[in-house]
Amino acid sequence: MALILLLLVPLLTGLVLVAAGRAWSDRTVLGVGLGAASLSLVLAVVTAVQRPVVDRAWLPELGVRSHFSVDGISIPLVLLTAIIGLLVVIHAFEEVPTGGTTGGFVGCLLLVVGGALATFAARDVIMFFLAFELVLVPMWALITRYGDPHRPVGRVEAGWRFVLYTAFGSALMLVGILLLVASTGTSDMGELLEAGAALPGGRQLTIALLLVVGLAVKVPVFPLHTWLPSAHTIAPTAGSVLLAAVLLKMGTYGLVRLPLGMVPEGFAAVAPWLAIAGVTGIIWGGLVCLVERDLKRLIAYSSVAHMGFVVLSIASGTEAGVQAALYGNLAHGVISALLFVIVGGLKRRWGVVDLGQPLPSLREIAPARGFFLILGLAAALGLPGLAGFWGEFFAILAAWSPADPATTTIFRTCAVVAAIGGALAAAYCLRVARVLWAGDSHVEWAPNVGPGPMEPTPSAHSTEEVGTSRVESADRAASGGPVGTSSALSTTTQEVETVGIERAVHVVLAVGIFALGLLPWLVINLMQPAVRTLIGGQP
Amino acid sequence: MSLVAAGSVVAGSVAAAVSAQPVDFDWLRLAPALAPAIGALLVLVLDAVLPARRLPRVVPIAIALLALLGGAAAAVPGALGSADNPVLSLCLPGGSAGACLWVAGPIASTLQIAILAATLAVVLLHVDRWSAGDAGLRGTGTQDSAVEIALLLGSATGGVAVAAARELGTWLIALELATLPVVALVALRGTRRAAHGALSLIMTSLLSFAILVVGAGLWLVATGDPTLTGPAVRAAWADPTSRPVLTLAVLALIAGLGFKLSAMPFHVWTPPTFAAAPLSITALLASASKLAALAALVAVLTPIADLVGLDPGPHAIAFALGALAIGSMLLGTVIAFRATDAVRLLAWSTIAQAGWVLLPLAALSAVGHRAAAGYVMTYAAASLVAFAAVSGVRTTREGEPGGEGEGAAYPTSVQLSSFRGLARTDPHVGGPLVLALLVMAGLPPGILGLVAKVVAINPLLGAGLWPLAVLAVVGVVLGVAVYLRWIAILLAQPQRIEGPPEETSVRLGRGAITVLAIGSALIIVASVVPQLLFGLLG
Repeated sequence: MALILLLLVPLLTGLVLVAAGRAWSDRTVLGVGLGAASLSLVLAVVTAVQRPVVDRAWLPELGVRSHFSVDGISIPLVLLTAIIGLLVVIHAFEEVPTGGTTGGFVGCLLLVVGGALATFAARDVIMFFLAFELVLVPMWALITRYGDPHRPVGRVEAGWRFVLYTAFGSALMLVGILLLVASTGTSDMGELLEAGAALPGGRQLTIALLLVVGLAVKVPVFPLHTWLPSAHTIAPTAGSVLLAAVLLKMGTYGLVRLPLGMVPEGFAAVAPWLAIAGVTGIIWGGLVCLVERDLKRLIAYSSVAHMGFVVLSIASGTEAGVQAALYGNLAHGVISALLFVIVGGLKRRWGVVDLGQPLPSLREIAPARGFFLILGLAAALGLPGLAGFWGEFFAILAAWSPADPATTTIFRTCAVVAAIGGALAAAYCLRVARVLWAGDSHVEWAPNVGPGPMEPTPSAHSTEEVGTSRVESADRAASGGPVGTSSALSTTTQEVETVGIERAVHVVLAVGIFALGLLPWLVINLMQPAVRTLIGGQP
Repeated sequence: MSLVAAGSVVAGSVAAAVSAQPVDFDWLRLAPALAPAIGALLVLVLDAVLPARRLPRVVPIAIALLALLGGAAAAVPGALGSADNPVLSLCLPGGSAGACLWVAGPIASTLQIAILAATLAVVLLHVDRWSAGDAGLRGTGTQDSAVEIALLLGSATGGVAVAAARELGTWLIALELATLPVVALVALRGTRRAAHGALSLIMTSLLSFAILVVGAGLWLVATGDPTLTGPAVRAAWADPTSRPVLTLAVLALIAGLGFKLSAMPFHVWTPPTFAAAPLSITALLASASKLAALAALVAVLTPIADLVGLDPGPHAIAFALGALAIGSMLLGTVIAFRATDAVRLLAWSTIAQAGWVLLPLAALSAVGHRAAAGYVMTYAAASLVAFAAVSGVRTTREGEPGGEGEGAAYPTSVQLSSFRGLARTDPHVGGPLVLALLVMAGLPPGILGLVAKVVAINPLLGAGLWPLAVLAVVGVVLGVAVYLRWIAILLAQPQRIEGPPEETSVRLGRGAITVLAIGSALIIVASVVPQLLFGLLG
């Protein structure tokens, strides 16, 4: 019962808010949204404790059952989704982006949360696919309707990219899933663990290829990642948080559940390629982060790098690897959520956070926000004791001894390259900290003094970047939004500092980072039995 | 040549019927087709007997609703029955099930219900035009209204009959009965454009009839038996000399039906006719006509699928169906993406959706037939809702009041830009339209559309045709782009854009409101419990 309600409450509330939200006042809408999100969190906790099972026929034509339950792999993600869901709704009290009604905004947030919860709880592969698709349209609406108001053209383009890439990925995944179901005659995840592993190698390889490529779009794995930076840059803060903390997790969760668990032989054949793609993502993301000027885009690229670690751990195919991946997933969810809340807050005030422009020092004008920024960056670069450390540490460890001994050389090379990528993470995190926190930009910031002489930024820019910034300025000129250096420099302490609701959101996420970093064994122990069952069929 | 063949087919069937002993008639079992036929007759008789002034418009409408509902109710037992125990009538003496000329299994009965329901919706949409003060019809009075109702009922009769007909002569005649009244309805407006649309429709109908008759003739040559079910088909399939003839016959029948389904390369008539006809008739072409064409196709393919099932492998029929499916899907979607006019977009999207309807048939299995029937019903529901919503949006640009002179009641050209922000300003129209477009795109929350696509791809993988499935993936992505483009306009900020100032008003008749409400309700219920739809198909 708790499980059914857990899925229905956010989905139904979301639909009602989208359909009828315009008739209600903003206060009512936010109240209803808050109630639904809080209730979901309570239900998620109850579900995690009781572990109920829902199993009834839904579409006998395909043998699809509405089969939902949670195990050690999905419980952390369900809880993460419910917590992030509550936080984004709370954040809506602070900021509802322009572009539509409050009802539509909160409704879309709840629909994304409900779809993600259903994805993590589904125990039937076709049901998993349907739930996976559920988040597509609300997320698209969040990006195109509620995205950066200064860039109408960019909004449309980012929305298209997001939706077309993801639809392509999930359609490929659907073919893989249907092929799996047609070959084995069952769509139940539990039965598929054995039935899938018993398939002949060639068929396993086809299925694994379709599933891995399809899911890699969502993760995203290099070179299928190009939708992510634009979507993140444009999306409203809450949308970015959901995208990073919830949607990307669906991709990695799917990789663990479907190809790794169900067609192990086929996955083993694809795994080295996946590992190489993941490591390329780590290096690529890290290098882009070293030169990227738009801070939101930078964090999006750092997501690509972090997901590279997760993919590397999954590709290793070992128990330790899967645990590292799931742990890294959680850690990235919390860290990127915190970073996006911070940057989203800055972006809302300044219009754009351009590291190439002179920026005020957060250390001076907003010490609390500065502290959260440093905490998020430290966790992102993998400082021991914080959330980010364990996922990346275990990822490299797992890659050192992969499941298939024949691929040891490839994986050890990947592990070394990934470690170098970790160093890149330190470099770009410190770059952000230097510019934004220490205020070590090219001019001294002083209140009530106009911007000093602008120096060209020393960092080299790729042509892509130059193109982007030109588009940005064109967009900005078109919408007439005067944003940039002067407005950034003239902000006062009161405007930049986190207060009230926004600060509460920061605090919760910061506590999460500490908790995951200091008590990793809680999560690892919870996941262990389920991970053993999942890869039990493997040597 | 075709006429001779037609003559021989009809003669053969008549001979079969005449030479028979008293054929086993069961009137009640024929009621799904008889009810609309009697309704049409009644409307015409009343119209002839009573002076036009004394016959309120309500009477023919009420008769039509009763006839259609009655027919649908009569088809329910067949839909709830099992595939092994279909509703039989007109059985020839001898008693074997193969010799019945009326066989309504679950798929046929369910499609009959859908055809009758779709016609009902079209009647409701059509009636709105009269109350809207139609300039083109003003003065002609109720006489035409009776004729129009009779034509709609006649078309429904043909569609219902073709779904259950298992004898080539009846099958052909019923198929034409489903089509020809539509030609008259398209021409109703009496404008040049309408005449042009009707002309392209009737040329297409004649051409497709010719091809169908060739196919029927070849079938007769191969099997020597005018029925679609008899053991003769099995014998012909087993014989290596007559098998190619039978295959050719099926290919010709598929080609002929390809016209009715608007499958590429037989689609050319669709966009001009859709743009020329009154919207209610366009809705009929997109829903009931497609349902009838698929029912006819399933009737032909069922015996073949049973036979190929014994001898699976790559097959000319599967190849033809797959090629038509993928071609229509990709071409329709790509051109729909460039459309700026709502009706043209829906026309090209019909072509794309025809590809999706044909796709599962390529598996040549009973599962594939069920999938195709489920898909076409999903599409029919969504397109009726979409047309009902479009019928409410009227645009008058400054300087050209009323468009073509009679535009107010015939909004056949509605620019997509007129829909800007409709989901916000008029959620009772924009909301259902968004839902219908999501169903066509196969995106949740239009879960029904997604389930229909999953069900459509599934039989291909069972039959080992997964390259087709991968091509369909491209179709999915392109389709998402087409429909989301319109949805984005519907959700946009309601504001004026550049160009001549235009006045967009939303005015829905009672019929359109009913269609919107019931259609959306059906889609939502079937999204939550898709088994309600797919369970009916057996």
